[in-house]
Amino acid sequence: MSVDLKELQELIEQERAAEEKVRRAKEEAQNILKAAHEKAESIVQAIDSDPDWEKLRRARKEEMTTRKSQIEEEYSRRTALLERTAQQNFENAIAYLVKETLRVQI
Amino acid sequence: MSLLELRTEIERKAQEEISKIIESAKREAERILAEATAKSEALRNERTKTLMTELEAEERADMAITRMNWKGNLLRLKSEWCKRVFEEAEKRISQIAKNGGQEYRELLSKLILEGIQALSGKRFVVEANSRDVEAIRKELKALQERAAKIKNDEVVLRVGTLSNIVSGGVVVSVEDGAQSYNNLLDARFSAATRKLAGEVYKILFGESKD
Repeated sequence: MSVDLKELQELIEQERAAEEKVRRAKEEAQNILKAAHEKAESIVQAIDSDPDWEKLRRARKEEMTTRKSQIEEEYSRRTALLERTAQQNFENAIAYLVKETLRVQI
Repeated sequence: MSLLELRTEIERKAQEEISKIIESAKREAERILAEATAKSEALRNERTKTLMTELEAEERADMAITRMNWKGNLLRLKSEWCKRVFEEAEKRISQIAKNGGQEYRELLSKLILEGIQALSGKRFVVEANSRDVEAIRKELKALQERAAKIKNDEVVLRVGTLSNIVSGGVVVSVEDGAQSYNNLLDARFSAATRKLAGEVYKILFGESKD
């Protein structure tokens, strides 16, 4: 094969251009990896600012408020019942205590 | 190889290397992202678990405190009602003594006889407040006769005044002071409240204290 000088120079030039393309491809590859690392970091960090935690807390708090209200209602009902029962039996209890205090065994 | 072939080969090799580099980088990027996603998922699960454990512990404590407060309120309420019963009963007993009617005079006699029955001997001292002493003196003869029947023997009663005693009722003592029987209404009431608190509780609330 015989090539003249001009053709040889063109070949060298083409070889250089190819090397430059490869160098750019390596740069692009580095950029792809850098972007992937950044995205990976942001995925992990996003957990801290995840609004789901606050939603979960709020939901549980609301549930607790409901359950507390139910307990309050239950005890209010029991308190009212107790008051009514005690009111009804008040005189009987006094009469019993007076009678037993004054009961003499001879 | 011709010059054209050489040029084509240079271009082909360059493209091949470029593709390899880019494909490799893309695969590595995918691996990094998949790893991050998995790590994030694991962290999220762990945090959710921790948060749930914390919230449940807080909730359990909170609910326990709420129930405890309410139970405390109910117990206080019951205790107040019992106290009212005791106070009112004490007032009524005190009123019966103050009125000093026939019913109370008979009660005084019975309190004396109960004391005599519980003590040994046949000579006794009966002490009461100045108001009741008068009533007892009026019944003394009848009392001695009733006491004699209980003891199956002659009984001698002496009456004395207890100073600073407001409560009705009596203290019966053997004459030599070796034994005495406290039948003052205050003492009986104190004993009754100790002994009968459970029963009063049952009558008031229709349930046992425990």
